[in-house]
Order: sequence, then structure tokens, then C-alpha cells
Amino acid sequence: MPSPRPTPISPLLCPLSASCLEATTLVGRAASSASMSSLTCAKLMAWTIVAILLQILGISLFVFGFFPVKPALSGASGPESFRSPMCHSVEERDERNLPPQQLRSLYQDTSGIPPSFDQLILMVVDGLPAEFVLGKDDQPPTKAMMEAMPYTQSLLSNGMAVGYHAKAAPPTVTMPRLKAMVSGAIGGFLDVAFNFNTQALLDDNILGQFYDIGWEMVMHGDETWLKLFPGLFTRYDGVSSFYVKDTVEVDYNVSRHLETELNADNWNLLILHYLGLDHVGHIGGRSSNLMIPKLKEMDEIVKMIHMNKMLPEHNPHRQTLLVVVSDHGMTENGNHGGSSYEETDSLALFIGLRSKILTYASATQNAASQVDMASTLALLFGVPIPKNNVGVLMPEVFGSLTDDQWLRALELNSWQLLRLLQAQLPGLSQQSSPCNGSSYEQSSEISECVGQVEQKFCHFFSKAAVLHSSWKSKKGQTVRSINGDDFRNAVKAYDEFLRIASEWLSRRATDKPLNLLASGVATMFGSSMILLRLLFLLCKQVYFAEKQCLPNVNKCSYKWDLDESFVLGAILIVVLSMGSSSMVEEEQYVWHFVTSTLYLIFLRKAIQSVLAGPAPFLLNVFNGQNCSNYSRASSVILVLICGRILRGWHQGGVNWTHLPDISKWLEQAGSHSIKFVQIASALAIISLWSFLLYSLRLKRGFILVVQTMFLISGLLVMLHIMQCQDHMFAISGYNATSIAQIVYASLGATVIITAVASPWVMYDSMSKTQSSGKPCLVTYLSIDNQIGSTLFELRYSSYLIGWAYTASWCLLQLLLQQPINAVPILLIFVQILSSLVYFSAAGIQHKLWVEVAALYFLGMAGHFGLGNSNTLATIDVAAAFIGLSSHSTLFAGILMFLITLASPLLLLLSMVMYISMKDLKYLFVSQDEDMGRLLLSTIAFPSLVPLSLNSIMLTTFTVILLLMRNHLFVWSVFSPKYLYVCAITASVYAGVIVVAATGIYVCLIFAFLKRNSNASIRNPR
Amino acid sequence: MSPAKTGKAKIARNGEVVVSFKDAFLVHMVCGLGLAVAFWFAHNVYAVNLVSDPAQTLNLIWVIECPIVVILYSLFRWNPDQCSFLKAAMRGLLGLPAGAILNTFGAVVLGAPVGSQYMKRTVNWSILMSLFTVVPAASVFGTSWKDWHRLFAYSKPTGVLDYMICIPAHGAAIGAWFGAWPMPLDWERPWQEWPICVTYGAVAGYLAGMVVSLGFTVIYGGRQQHVKGD
Repeated sequence: MPSPRPTPISPLLCPLSASCLEATTLVGRAASSASMSSLTCAKLMAWTIVAILLQILGISLFVFGFFPVKPALSGASGPESFRSPMCHSVEERDERNLPPQQLRSLYQDTSGIPPSFDQLILMVVDGLPAEFVLGKDDQPPTKAMMEAMPYTQSLLSNGMAVGYHAKAAPPTVTMPRLKAMVSGAIGGFLDVAFNFNTQALLDDNILGQFYDIGWEMVMHGDETWLKLFPGLFTRYDGVSSFYVKDTVEVDYNVSRHLETELNADNWNLLILHYLGLDHVGHIGGRSSNLMIPKLKEMDEIVKMIHMNKMLPEHNPHRQTLLVVVSDHGMTENGNHGGSSYEETDSLALFIGLRSKILTYASATQNAASQVDMASTLALLFGVPIPKNNVGVLMPEVFGSLTDDQWLRALELNSWQLLRLLQAQLPGLSQQSSPCNGSSYEQSSEISECVGQVEQKFCHFFSKAAVLHSSWKSKKGQTVRSINGDDFRNAVKAYDEFLRIASEWLSRRATDKPLNLLASGVATMFGSSMILLRLLFLLCKQVYFAEKQCLPNVNKCSYKWDLDESFVLGAILIVVLSMGSSSMVEEEQYVWHFVTSTLYLIFLRKAIQSVLAGPAPFLLNVFNGQNCSNYSRASSVILVLICGRILRGWHQGGVNWTHLPDISKWLEQAGSHSIKFVQIASALAIISLWSFLLYSLRLKRGFILVVQTMFLISGLLVMLHIMQCQDHMFAISGYNATSIAQIVYASLGATVIITAVASPWVMYDSMSKTQSSGKPCLVTYLSIDNQIGSTLFELRYSSYLIGWAYTASWCLLQLLLQQPINAVPILLIFVQILSSLVYFSAAGIQHKLWVEVAALYFLGMAGHFGLGNSNTLATIDVAAAFIGLSSHSTLFAGILMFLITLASPLLLLLSMVMYISMKDLKYLFVSQDEDMGRLLLSTIAFPSLVPLSLNSIMLTTFTVILLLMRNHLFVWSVFSPKYLYVCAITASVYAGVIVVAATGIYVCLIFAFLKRNSNASIRNPR
Repeated sequence: MSPAKTGKAKIARNGEVVVSFKDAFLVHMVCGLGLAVAFWFAHNVYAVNLVSDPAQTLNLIWVIECPIVVILYSLFRWNPDQCSFLKAAMRGLLGLPAGAILNTFGAVVLGAPVGSQYMKRTVNWSILMSLFTVVPAASVFGTSWKDWHRLFAYSKPTGVLDYMICIPAHGAAIGAWFGAWPMPLDWERPWQEWPICVTYGAVAGYLAGMVVSLGFTVIYGGRQQHVKGD
């Protein structure tokens, strides 16, 4: 057996004595003052702040570029939409509140266009590409398709129907597309995020307009409609699109109502939403065997409706319009969500129009936009165009209108778009002239608009308005031929205005300003480069200092330890896995896996030193070396076991939430067992914390005060837990609210008093009892009391402050989190404690940044262990109102942030304790206790490492989001995840600021006290 | 089978057996073939595979692979003068459950499901992993902690025998680790179940480890033994 060669732990085999340390610190000082020019404390801080500011700038640039805040107008259009936007109307305030019948007649009087129909049947065929019905590129559809829908094709060729290729905007998924169809607006993502607890469509839309004029509405089909319009339908039968495998039942459940509904004449709007065709596509793609039968089925339904309702002799009094639309198309494989032609090519087919379409080509080769549906349907049925509509009228549908009416319709559309433009472009002048009739000479004066875009719109609009009014004035006077020319010119002018206005408005909603996004990403990239560079310099400095201290080892170049390379690899893996939507959905597995593996590597390291026997370790100075080695291994095992329980507590994620987990099991066992577990874990947390404080055997008076305050808060939290019988009750109840408020106050007081007072008190105590008892956890770190007693005091006080932070945080979370989460809090806390024990015993076996990274990883794993996921659904909104007596969005938002990010923040706060556990001072500190170096050695790593790790995550996920912008799940998976990433970034900022502020404060006070005492010693002489 | 042929291990002065490249090659090949035979046997005789019945397949594989590994590595036992073949084989068999416990701990800590329906799979999987990782070392080194420490805590194999034990074991563990990555994906494939893809990863890693170990033997084999002689 050969003798063991130099191994990775050999840096530790440095026989350490006080003299060595003394000498090496001197050497280190000399060396570091040479290399220190690369990184001083002030420089580090300045650069870090610059990097943080840059990052914030980058995030905001990106967010505003990627999630354009659509300036939606609130409220709904009323009678004012039939008046010119160029004048301030006087008396319209109360008109919208008229009873439905009066409102309907008011609309009829003022609109100038008689409603063409009384009844509307909106038949939505989910996922039907327009190509199937209308063909592509001026070609009729394939023969198979023609034969699959014989009745529809005959309607088209007989001129009784007109079809459109209605281009849908991405994301081509059902809900946003339905919203676009009924409101005429293209929504942004942030308005989904901002009202995540309600899916109801709050913007102005044609269904709301129909409701206002007293329509009876019926819906059969996809239950998305019910979510969008709760309470709007008088009769409904919602089917779920959850079972994609089913292509028959979903449609049967709609069609079975058809006969009764067609016979019953008590509705104005009938919505039929067929999901089967989309399901066929998902199973087998466009050319699935089931596609032709499904199309035939749809054709049969069209035939049935047409036969029953629209054949003219049926009912001359009630005119019915059948509109067959699809919400989106599908790719060759049957998927949708993206922005390819196949997916955006959706259908809009109007059947039962009064005018006859002349040729098959003119019936099929029309292009429109999906949002045009809203304005077209609104004017067909005589209601105002929804406020946020960006669509324009589909001209072929209005073939039956007279010239006068058609111009009026175009005018109404233009007015509505102009109003929307005015809301977005303040430069468009709002002339406040009285509107008497149609004095269009006045409106030609609005060319006083400011700005280039505004002037363009003004020009086009006034041109159209002038032409319209001149046509009107000449009407009846001149001969018909000139009149015809004028009419055509006016229509052309209107068309032109509508086209540019609509284009501009819809581009505002969907276009991603690439330069904004690119500059955002570049800024973020730059800031993470700065942070990584700083971290690298810091590591290098530590490495050199270490080398100076332990000169006999590691002559060769820098050697990567397994844990270091694993952390780097893990970051890479985590970052890469975020590119897969299911990995984003199931991120809890990734973090748990990575964290556990890291701790298994730590375990291996601990075993290395257990088996290494009594080697002359750096930390061998204290007794019971082997004992501490075993305790290291066991503390790592404790972390691992706690992590596994934490992982099993909530199943989490999206796809496997139904699998059993501990929380479900406890919930089944009943609320009593939950309460019991909650109280037990609260007791455990409180007693553990008290024990930790108790073991700090100095300055008993002060400690006693802190402990009493802490115990009072703990008792109050327990009282609150007892008070709330179940968590439904927790929100209400005056008593519970006031207890919660007292808890907030007492915790805040404990933290502030401890943080402010402890440096003063500790300094005092330490100068008296220099080398008395050592606290149990701090025992591990006492290398040598001789290295400046101030450092020792400093560590004691930062230990105390860290204790106060973490203890109060745990109590706060016990109060705020759901009862089921009490045990996970305890587990995370035990993990932190054992990690700290391990790290403090490990000495310099690990690189510092690896340890801080491990704590960060624990925080992320714990974040998912508390039941969080990357969907917005898991945010606990109800708990955000605990202790709030009045509704306050700000406080509720802060509480929600604290609850959701409990674990990352807890780990960041525990960094203050970590500072006190870790003894690094010998690397930097010389006897004269330079403030800057002291700070550099205490807070540099705990604040730089989380910032750098987070900046990597943030920057790469931003890039991923940018790459995935056309992905099917960009709005459902990646964008919510991005919001979480931003929130975690904010939490890292908050935590780092607390850690840095505490460190700076403590160091400053100690420097101040030290100088004072030195002065007082010197002065008497 | 081939153990009889490879059995003539030479003994160096300090008690270690000297393993030639040919021996190493034969051991690895037989272990690999044993795995292949086990898969074939499970598939053709019992008509099960990992996807259809993971527990039984894993059971079959380890039952077939176990004697091969124990016998082969016991032939290369440390200090053959003081330690009989039977004793080495017994050590290997004892190492089997002990290694299984270690592997179960690792798997569960890394997130393997615990529950009665997964119990059989986990047990069989960890016994197979134990065959890949712990049993060869147990057969060869017994309770010599120094060697275990060298091989598994520091991963510092010195010599052909160390390569033969250490590299495939690490390969199996690393392969199993990577094999777990597809599990959370929503591909809805049957092989994403625990422990199917992990087993695939482990077997792939084990085989790759064998190849690497042979490569090391070729590159460093002669020199290392020379150094050790001093």
C-alpha cells in the first residue's frame, strides 16, 4: 500500500500555532497590501451598489419591454360613442344607467344604423384552421375538406355566407383569443398577473354591451366562457377541456342542447363552443383520421342551424345571424400557442347575411384580423363598439347597408379608434367645441396636433371627415355619378385612417420593442459580470491570503475541489433546466436534488476527515477533535433528512400535485392533528431558540431581557394559534387581529432593541470578562483569543443579532404561514442550525463562497418545501390580511411577499449568524483592526455570493424568456416564473441590505468604542 | 466460466494481488456479459422488463449478477494468504445488504419515493447498486478502512485493482444521478417511473466506468505497479 499522496485536504494539514499565525498575518498583511489595491472595502461596496442599480435598471427595462402595460380604458362605451369625440358632450352621464329597453331604443335612435339582426348564434369551433373551410393562397380547400363540409361549401358558393381568414394574435390559446374576439383588444400579460385571483373579463366587451341592452344569453360548451363571464348567461352547460383524449363526449354535451335551444326562442345570443376538433388535433394532428368525421359533424350542426333558423320563410320577424368562428388554428401536429401561420389562421364565417355575395372567390378570399369581430358584431347588432377595440369593420358583412349607413358605420368605428388613440397619445388635441349636428368644418381644424404620429392621425382623420361631410352636403343636390365618386373617396379615406390606426394600436399591444429588451438584457448581463468579477477578485484574495498563512501547501496552481465544481455545475444545470417548461413547473425537484447532492458531497468531505484520524488539523486547537468530526457528519445527515421530509411535505409542482404527501395526509387526519403538530413545532422552535440564547453565557441581564421579550412574542403567537380554530377564521375576528398586531410590534421591538444595543452591551461585557465561558456554538470558532479581543466581541454581538433576526423571523412565519407549514419552518430552521454547526466546524475545508452558496440553495429548496410553486396559484392571498384591521394594499402586498419568500429571506437573515460562526479574520485582519478589512472579511462573502448567484439566475432566465417568447407556455409557465425570479431578486436585495447594514453597524460601533477606550487608557497617562 | 481461467492471481510483496490487463479485461467483460445475460433472461424467460415490472426484473438481474461479481472479485482478494476465498466471498455477501442500506439512504435523501408500493423496487434497486458499488470493494478489501477511505472518500485509486473497483462504482453512482434527471419531465413515458431510468443510467454509467477503468489500466497500469514496488 503506497503512502497517501498529497490530497485535497492537505491545505488543512497546517500545524498552527499562535506564533505561526502571528507571523503569517504579518506576511499576509504585506502581501495583501500589495494585492489589496485590487479590492478594498470601499471599492467593493461601490461596485456592488453600481451592479445592483444596473440590475434594477435592467429588470425594469426588460419588464416594460416584455410585458407592455396596455393602456386600457376602464369602463364601457355608452351612447357617447355615437357622438363625435371632438366635442365634449354634456348630458351623457346618466345615460348608461338607463334600463335595458330604453338604452336599446336610445342606441337605435342615435346610431343611425338599424340593427340588421335580432339573434346571434356564435358557434366557436376550437382550433379549426380557416384553411379547412376557405382554402389557402386563393386556392379552394382540398377535395377531402370540400367533401367533409358539403353544406357549408354550398352556402359559400351560393353567396349566402362570407368567410374570413381572421388572423389571431399570439398566444394562440383559447382564453386570450376569446377575450380578443369579444373585446376587440389584444391583452398583455401583466393584466393577467395583476388580477390573478379573478379570471373574469372586466374590460368592455360586446357580451357586456348585449347584457346592458337586456339580451338573454345562453352558452353551451367550453367552460372558459363561464370563467370569463360569471353570471352573464341565463342557461349554460360548461364542458371541461381537461380530458384531451375525449373527442366525442365534449361535443355531444353541446349538441344535445341544440334542438331545444333552437325551438325555444327566448334567447338573443346562443354561444356553442365545440372543443372536439381541437382535441382531435392534439391527438392526431391535422391529418388525423378523426378529422374528416369531426368536420362532417360540424357541418351537420351548421346545416341544422341554418335549416331551422335562417331559411327566410321561417320567421320574418326575428332575423338570425350564424357566425362560425375558431379561436385559433393548429400546426401540422395539432399543437397551438405560437405565432406561425398555421396557428394564427383562424376562421370567421358569417352565415345568413342579407346581401348576396357574388362569387365564390369573394366569399372565401377575405382577410381580416380576429379582433375585427368585436366591432363588426357590435355595429351589426346596434350596440356601441367596445372601448378598447383595435379592430376595424369587415366590409363584406355590411353589404346590405346603404351608402349613408356604411359611411356612418365607418365613422363610428373611426370615432372609437380616435378615442383610444387620444387616450394613448395625449398630443391628439381634444377640441372642446360644442357639437351641434355635424359641423365637420370644425373638425378639420384639429390639425393643430403636436408630434409626428399625432399629426399623421389627425391628417387622415380630418381628411376622411371632410370628405364624409362634403358627401353629405352634396347628397341630393348633385347628380349621382359625382356622388358615387365622392362616396368612394370618403370610404377610401376612412379605410385608410382605420387601417393605420388599427395597425398602430395593435402593434403597441403585441410588439416587443427589441432595443428595449436587448438593452435590458445587456444591462443585466453587465451587472452580473461586475458581481462575478468582484466575487472572483475576492476569492483570489482569500486564496492568496490563505496561501500566505499556510505556505507549505498547495504549491501548484489553484485546485478545484469537488464541492466547488459541483456548485458551479449545479448552477449551470439549474439554469439550463429552466429552458424546459416541465422543469420550470417541477422546479422543486431540481432544487431538492441539487441541494441534497451538495450536502452528500459535504457528507463525503466530513467522512474524509472522520477517517483521516487525528491529523494535525487547523482546527485541532480545541479538544475533542474527533468528536467534532462525528458531529459534523451527523449534522450533515440531519440536514439531508430534514430536506427529504421537507420535500415530501408538499407534493408541489403542477403535474403530480395529486400524489400523496405528508400535508394531505395530515389534512385527512383532521384539523386537530394539524393543530397539534403546529403547536408542537411552535414549542420546539421557541425552546430551541431559547436554548441557543441561554447557552450564550454572558451578560446575563441583557440576554434575559431579550429572552423575555422573545418569550412574550412566542406566547402571543401560541395564543394566536390557539385562538384560530381553523384558518378560515383567522382572517376575521377582532381578537386574533389585535393579537397579531401585538406580535408584529413585539417582534419588531425585540429585533430593533437587540440589533441596536447588543454591540454596546457586548463590548462592555467582553472587556470585563475576557475569557470566560464560551457559547456552545461559538466554541467551535475560538481559534485564538489573542487575535484581537474585539473580534471576539464582534462575533458575539453579531451572533446575538443574527439570533434575534432569525428567531423573530421564525415566529413571524409561524404566525403568518398556514398551520400545515409550521413543521416545514421548524425543519428549515433545523437545517440552518445544523449547516451552521457543520460550517463552523469545517474551518477552511470549504471555500467560503461554497458555504454561502449552500445556504442559498437551502433557501431555494425550502422555498418549494413550503408549498410554493412557479404558478401564481400557490400564493397565499388570504394570509396576507392577518393582523390588518383595514384593507391596505401596501401592507397586504408586503405581507404576501414575506409569506411567499419566507425561506430565502430566512436563509439570508441567518447569514448574520453565519458571520459570527465563521472565523476568517486571520486572513485579513492585522492587529490595528482596519475597519475596511474587518468589513471585507465579515460581510463581503455573505452579501456578494447571493447577489452573484441570483444575478446569474436572473440574467439567464431573462434570456430564456426572450427565447421562449413564442413558446406555447410563455404566458402560463415562463412569465409567472419570471415574476417569481423578480420577487426572489427583491428578496435577495432585502436580505443582503439587512446583512450588510448589520455588519457595517456593528463594525462601526466597535471601532468607535475601541478608539474611545484606547483614548481613555492613554489619556490618564 | 472464466473465473477458473483468471484465477491465477499473482501476489506482490506487500500482499496486494497484481492484476494484469488481461485479467481486468476478463473480469469486466464477464460482469458486463452477466448483466446482458440477466437482461436477456428476464426478457425471454420471465417475459418481464424494467418497464413492465421493475421490481421483478431488478430482482432477477441482481440474483444473476451477484454470484458473478462476488466470485470474480473474491479471486482478487487482498492478502490471499491470510484470507481464504470463502471468507472473501462471505465478506462480499455481507457487503450486499450493507451497501443496499447505504444506497437506499442516498436514493431516498435525493428524493426517491417512499411508500409501500415503491418498497420492493427501492430494495431491489439498491441491492443492484450495492453490487455495482460496495460488493467488489467488500470482497477485495474486507474491513480495511484505509482502502475504503482511499477509494470512496478520496476517489484516489492506485493500481489496476483499484481502478477495477473504484471507477465502475463511481460510474454507476454518477450514471444513476444523471439518470434521475428525466423523471420530472412531462413526457408521460412509462420509463420515467422510479427506478427505471435511474437503473438505465446506473447500468450505462457502470459500463462506461468499466471502459474507463480498462483505459486507465492500459495507460497507467504498468507504471503504477512499478511505483508501488518501491
